[in-house]
Amino acid sequence: MPESKKNVLDVVIGYQEAVKVKEELAKTGSDFSDQKWATANTIAKLHPKRLTLEVSEVIDETESTKTFRLVSTGGPLPPFQAGQYINLFVEIDGVQTARPYAISSSPAQRDYYDLTVKRVQDGFVTHYLLDHVKQGQQFLSTSPMGTFYHNPIFHGQDLVFLAGGSGIAPAMSMLKNVFDNGLAHQFHFIYASSYIEDVIFIEELRELAQNHDNFKLTEVISRPPEGYQGITGRLNADLIKELVGEVHNKTFYVCGPTPFNENCQTQLDSLDVESRFVRIEANGPPKNPDQLNHWPDSASMEDEVTITITGKGSFKAKAGEPLLNSLERNGYSAENACRSGECSLCRVKLVSGNVFNPPEAHLRVSDKQFGWIHSCVAFPTEDIEILL
Amino acid sequence: MKQYDAVVIGAGNAGLTAATALQRGGSKTLLLERHNIPGGCATSFVRGEYEFEVALHQLSGLGTEDRPFIMRKIFANLGVMDKVEFVQEHQLYRIVVPGEIDTTLPASWSGLRRQLQSDFPSESENLARFMKLCETITLESFMMLPKARKANDEKMLKASCPNYIKYGMRSAKEVLDEHFDDENLKTILAAYWCYIGLPPSEIPFPDLAAMIYAYAAFKPWHIKGGSQAMSSALLESFMEAGGEVRFNCGAEKILTSGDKVRGVLTEDGEEIACAAVVSNASSIMTYNELLDHDHAPIAVREDFKSRRMGTSAFVIYMGLDCTPEELGVTSASNFICNTQDEEAVHAGMLTMNAPVSGMLTCYNFDDPSFAPEGKSIVSLVCLQYGDVWNDIPEEQYAQTKYEFSEKLIDVIAQTFPKIRDHIEEVEVATPLTMMRYLNTPDGAIYGFKQTPQDSELFRERIESISGLYMAGCWNNMGGFQPTYMAGESTARAVLKQLKSEKEELENA
Ligand SMILES: Cc1cc2nc3c(=O)[nH]c(=O)nc-3n(C[C@H](O)[C@H](O)[C@H](O)COP(=O)(O)OP(=O)(O)OC[C@H]3O[C@@H](n4cnc5c(N)ncnc54)[C@H](O)[C@@H]3O)c2cc1C
Ligand SMILES: Cc1cc2nc3c(=O)[nH]c(=O)nc-3n(C[C@H](O)[C@H](O)[C@H](O)COP(=O)(O)OP(=O)(O)OC[C@H]3O[C@@H](n4cnc5c(N)ncnc54)[C@H](O)[C@@H]3O)c2cc1C
Ligand code: FES
Repeated sequence: MPESKKNVLDVVIGYQEAVKVKEELAKTGSDFSDQKWATANTIAKLHPKRLTLEVSEVIDETESTKTFRLVSTGGPLPPFQAGQYINLFVEIDGVQTARPYAISSSPAQRDYYDLTVKRVQDGFVTHYLLDHVKQGQQFLSTSPMGTFYHNPIFHGQDLVFLAGGSGIAPAMSMLKNVFDNGLAHQFHFIYASSYIEDVIFIEELRELAQNHDNFKLTEVISRPPEGYQGITGRLNADLIKELVGEVHNKTFYVCGPTPFNENCQTQLDSLDVESRFVRIEANGPPKNPDQLNHWPDSASMEDEVTITITGKGSFKAKAGEPLLNSLERNGYSAENACRSGECSLCRVKLVSGNVFNPPEAHLRVSDKQFGWIHSCVAFPTEDIEILL
Repeated sequence: MKQYDAVVIGAGNAGLTAATALQRGGSKTLLLERHNIPGGCATSFVRGEYEFEVALHQLSGLGTEDRPFIMRKIFANLGVMDKVEFVQEHQLYRIVVPGEIDTTLPASWSGLRRQLQSDFPSESENLARFMKLCETITLESFMMLPKARKANDEKMLKASCPNYIKYGMRSAKEVLDEHFDDENLKTILAAYWCYIGLPPSEIPFPDLAAMIYAYAAFKPWHIKGGSQAMSSALLESFMEAGGEVRFNCGAEKILTSGDKVRGVLTEDGEEIACAAVVSNASSIMTYNELLDHDHAPIAVREDFKSRRMGTSAFVIYMGLDCTPEELGVTSASNFICNTQDEEAVHAGMLTMNAPVSGMLTCYNFDDPSFAPEGKSIVSLVCLQYGDVWNDIPEEQYAQTKYEFSEKLIDVIAQTFPKIRDHIEEVEVATPLTMMRYLNTPDGAIYGFKQTPQDSELFRERIESISGLYMAGCWNNMGGFQPTYMAGESTARAVLKQLKSEKEELENA
């Protein structure tokens, strides 16, 4: 308070002394101007919104898989926890979209991130990456994200990784993390692939298993060639039990195609592995949402619906296609990262109409009340209007 | 160029209530939020089957339906009372000092007195006197003091606020010492200091008195769906009234001509014209980074110099595969302190040393619908100043976070020994996490340090930039009730400005 004006608070016992304390504080304090941009810089060190990455090398892994080594064109790459992914933004034939890929390289070095990408049969982005991307090409991505990593607070040190196909990518990073940082973990990979030609990183994994007592590798081939000697078939409870012995108090990581993940969950359930010991990585929107509970009887995947974006326009789309994909194909966009319903970055408001939210959609309780949806896993089973 | 009457920067509590009150008050308002969801602190996130409440432990100021208090009226004015459901908590807290104290206080003013008098019979009369003082000083400082200040009438102040005159500038510790001999009783009564983050010797007595009285008489509350439900309800009300919101869209600059606001530049590079800006971002950032001046105005710089950076928090959010009963939870809010020396606890908050005190809140204790059946959601909190985290090299960040977590769990596990055996999901938030999601310096969660001198009793409203208003924990008290109220009252000031500008135009 300015001295000239009489202040009623002066009659409060201790007020004038407290004002003096304030004056003392002012003598030794700062106007915080020396901290300009400090907050933004700290945030950018750990979690920059976007990274600009350049392909420094393309490594052929198998017939259907390549590893893209990505270096930063700006400052150092942010640290990550082995098992995390980045969402890679791409433009294909004028469509801007993105896909998440786990980092397969070790977090112990930050000169590059490796992404190991396997072709998806009816895919869109994987074909582009495998067929067209060359050394020197640049991409934008998110910074590393995701919750699929070893959490020392409750995962313990006795670890089993059930990997299917490209699911070996995060497993590789987790394994390298154990060796590079000298961790005392026991790690057992049960690595399932369809064909022997498709087994990614196999030479390297075999060698690591030979040289490290704390790493065990089991290969399983579901479609073996004639005369194949190793373990074959689908993973089942008996096989898992036989391979790992005591299943309790081990943490199981599961990463692979959706059917693989679902099968592993079922098998671990039948072995009474408690869910706190099972970590399953997300894997995109469901491919057959019409097979899931609560998909409306009246709707079919092929139904054509109208999507209206308030104040911006409208287009037609298929009920069976995730909303985010059709938005992108029609030139709209929403922020996104996991594209699997988990991170909530793609949330948009439903103004009218209904969508099908599969279990992948990790919505908040209040989202349901106020009509917020995760567009990456929302299926428009009727005409809808949304706000972007 | 798009044109609005007002642009609100930030959709935290104060930003949301300001925007909603502005739009409902008839001014065309745009709300900008850099994150993808409204709420700031007042939010939640989902992991597996669990939705974790980020910040709200106990909502104050609501009162019961029969005995409503101020927040019911404010929420009703903002059009959200029919959009949210409240759940009453029945205990204030359980406080444990292992081997020394283990007491649970009821959320009832008369029940509280009865229980404490029976636990501390020798302090019976002192308790009656102390509680009477808490009650009267709270009423004086909320009802009469503002009137006397507005009228600048010394006589009125003397007549209506005798207790405030005597005790208003004393510290909580001084008043507790004056009333009681029993150290345990003092520890029990001062426990809410754990929320504020300053030792009782630095907390103005009326602040502690108001917490004890308001929570006991008007009850602690919880919101169904968590504070996110309130944030989403406020946004809904704002949008129903015609307000526009943009997420993933931070404000980059506040544009002025001379000392008058003319608009806002967004992160996407769009210029928006407006007559008033309400900033819910920290005042440090608002004046030093957002404002398009080379330096903050003199009055602001002077004001900053007597401020000190406030505390952040370290929080472990846990989903447990056991019921609250199996865990041993008997009260939603729990304070566990290894020492009764609050000064020592506070000194520890400035370091990376193992915390000596922590809180556990169990969200499905009073509201079973908050967690899946048979499971529990708890958060473990210790307040900590964020500065110590700035020095940790980024490659050591994750490991440091886990190591510190173990130490906090150690404190909590003394009272809840089974906690480690039931973890199904866990997420750890450090002060740097707070910084990332709130965009506050050092991840501060209550704004500046809430010393007596931080209070508005020692501050003038700064009007150096005409049309620029601050709303939030940086120029009022931190916490839910204060920030909800700050946004609403700021909106009233803005509406007044807009109205008088309009009249001037019409008369011109
Ligand atoms: C967290 C996470 C980590 C992952 N890590 C890896 C990894 O390390 N390695 C790996 O190989 N894979 C990984 N995946 C899977 C990966 O993200 C992709 O889902 C996968 O590569 C398939 O991509 P795709 O575009 O080829 O196929 P899909 O995404 O299945 O492509 C089909 C979809 O593309 C859309 N589409 C088709 N045509 C168009 C068009 N013209 N315009 C716009 N959209 C169109 C359609 O909507 C259709 O649904 C990961 C997934 C997740 C969630
Ligand atoms: C873990 C934790 C526990 C807490 N416990 C309690 C409790 O039990 N009781 C209690 O009363 N209080 C508690 N609090 C404190 C209380 O939640 C906060 O003091 C209060 O919510 C702050 O509200 P606010 O309106 O000041 O803004 P904030 O919540 O800080 O929100 C500010 C918003 O502005 C946005 N923003 C910032 N910069 C920009 C920009 N440039 N452009 C656009 N948007 C921007 C941010 O993204 C954010 O959404 C707790 C807080 C935390 C984090
Ligand atoms: S992009 Fe993560 S939820 Fe949709």
